[in-house]
Amino acid sequence: MTLLTWGVILSAGICLVALSALVARTFAFRAPSSLAATQGSAARGMRYAFGAGMLPTAKESARDHLMVWVTGMLYHAGIFAGLFYLAFTVIGFLPAAIVAALRVLIAVGAVAGLGLLARRIALPHLRQLSCADDFAANLIVDLFLTAAVIHSFVPTLRGPFYLVAILMFLYVPVGKIRHCFFFFYMRILFGTFFGRRGVLPHRGVREA
Amino acid sequence: MKPEPINAGPLEDRVEALKPDDLTRALEEFRAVMTRDHAAALASCVHCGLCSETCHYYLATRRLDAIPAYKLGLVASVFRRHEGLLGKVAPGWVGARTLNHETIKAWIDALFGRCSLCGRCALNCTMGINITAAIRAARGVLAALDLVPPGLKSTVDTALIKGNNMGISENDFVETLAWLEGEMQSDAGFETARMYVEETGCRMLYTLNPREVMFFPLSIVAVAKIFHAAGESWTFSKDGFDVTNYGLYDGSDAHAGTMSGRLVTSMERLGAGTLVLAECGHGFNSNRWEAPQWLNRRYPFEVKSILQVVAGYLRDGRIKVDAAQNTQPVTLHDPCNLVRLGGIVEEQRYLLRHTARDFREMTPNREHNYCCGGGGGQLAMTNYADRRLEAGRIKADQIRRTGAKIVAVPCHNCIDQLMELNKHYGLGVELKTVCELVANALVVEP
Repeated sequence: MTLLTWGVILSAGICLVALSALVARTFAFRAPSSLAATQGSAARGMRYAFGAGMLPTAKESARDHLMVWVTGMLYHAGIFAGLFYLAFTVIGFLPAAIVAALRVLIAVGAVAGLGLLARRIALPHLRQLSCADDFAANLIVDLFLTAAVIHSFVPTLRGPFYLVAILMFLYVPVGKIRHCFFFFYMRILFGTFFGRRGVLPHRGVREA
Repeated sequence: MKPEPINAGPLEDRVEALKPDDLTRALEEFRAVMTRDHAAALASCVHCGLCSETCHYYLATRRLDAIPAYKLGLVASVFRRHEGLLGKVAPGWVGARTLNHETIKAWIDALFGRCSLCGRCALNCTMGINITAAIRAARGVLAALDLVPPGLKSTVDTALIKGNNMGISENDFVETLAWLEGEMQSDAGFETARMYVEETGCRMLYTLNPREVMFFPLSIVAVAKIFHAAGESWTFSKDGFDVTNYGLYDGSDAHAGTMSGRLVTSMERLGAGTLVLAECGHGFNSNRWEAPQWLNRRYPFEVKSILQVVAGYLRDGRIKVDAAQNTQPVTLHDPCNLVRLGGIVEEQRYLLRHTARDFREMTPNREHNYCCGGGGGQLAMTNYADRRLEAGRIKADQIRRTGAKIVAVPCHNCIDQLMELNKHYGLGVELKTVCELVANALVVEP
């Protein structure tokens, strides 16, 4: 293993440890209680939150901004593909068919990421809502995806690819990319909240 | 675009007068009100901006400071500054802000002045962040600093000091009920109907919005008639009758707990089986869902909306109705705290389908319905009245599109706001509670 490979592994480890510390810090705040009698089902709410509740059919904000929603989905699919690709390169297992499939996903993800960045720059309100971190986080991930695609064609460019990966891993816990953890927690809370109260999942037209 | 300066007169002076010790206390309070769920929420917003058009304030004004992510960001920026690593070493990079005079002014203006805590943004957030809960927690910090806008503060103070938000005395309450009882008994079929007060061991303790006593007595009569027709065992408490809870809106759990605690005390004193909440959105959310947390206890009794109770009567055949009594087209407003945040979604529809000949849904409806703009304490904060009416345009347009002549409104706060919207936007509709429509359709044996 090269020094850079160790660097990737180490930075990924640091990222995980720092994220764990962030989680521990968050959970150090007091736990909210939930003492009201349940009307619906928290479990059903959670299943909904991770399933139908994420679709444009259920979410007006996604439905009215379908292109943005699709772009976001593609972006995140590309990021997961990029991370898989990185892991494959680290362990030295790179079947051509898998590389080809991941390459497409990563390339689409990179384009989607740049599209979202362009949207953030172009829309005045979105630009005003944003801070440097919003732009930087997007840019680092776009750079990582682009480097992954280039590396998939030119394996000798492993150095720049790994350097970008190291930078990204180190940035994850301190910037907005940490939402990669909080997303799941937020969806659990969303499902629990609306599920317990019997608001969601929507059961359609029903008698009282 | 910079937010407008707050238009709160003495409140702004009080903010200016805050000393460093007060700001330290504010920060301590901020940490104290934060739960792990709030902390996670404040670390989660990705500023995608997709929440913008879910907010009636933004839809009506297209202002940056009306965007839910902006409002959440005001709170999150303080959290990042004082709790996050980059927020401490490079605040500008992550948009972190110190909790100072300017931040507090911005909080008051946006969190009190441009949010009705309706939860529509939370329902539509791509992450699933409960923006409403985070904003309420930040309002709680302002409440601890005595920086609640004057109208809301006086409403809370009246409820805390006098036992209900209109300051109605026990005597006046009991006398009004006696007068209403007489009026009710003059209606055919209700000669023996009663307004029960302080009865012990009843199945139900009924609560109401004190505004009903002062301005909308017919909605009290409507419920009493339904109880009579169903042969229900029920009572009022003479001192614990106020279903409203403006502690939900000023953000103070202590205030909210005191108000809800009175209903619990009445339940226990009178030995009733079920606490029945009048048609009041925030009163339902407060007393059904939030109060057990405020009081840190599980309730040994059931808490129900009057709509659940009346729908049960109809379903079980305890009351009979005739839809021919309500022939005008009726639409239904879904109060945010009752429906989106309360889970009472179908009962009112079930009742209206059986009691009105022409019932029409608004679009969107149920949990997706728009806030009328009267929630979040907005009706009490008269300094933000112009904003409230402007934001209410979305609801007014919704109502107009239905072509209905009657709007069924299961919430007295919403009724107050819709009365103003009716006048301001020339809607030409009549506003009624669901129980008033049911009572009008009651079939009673002579």
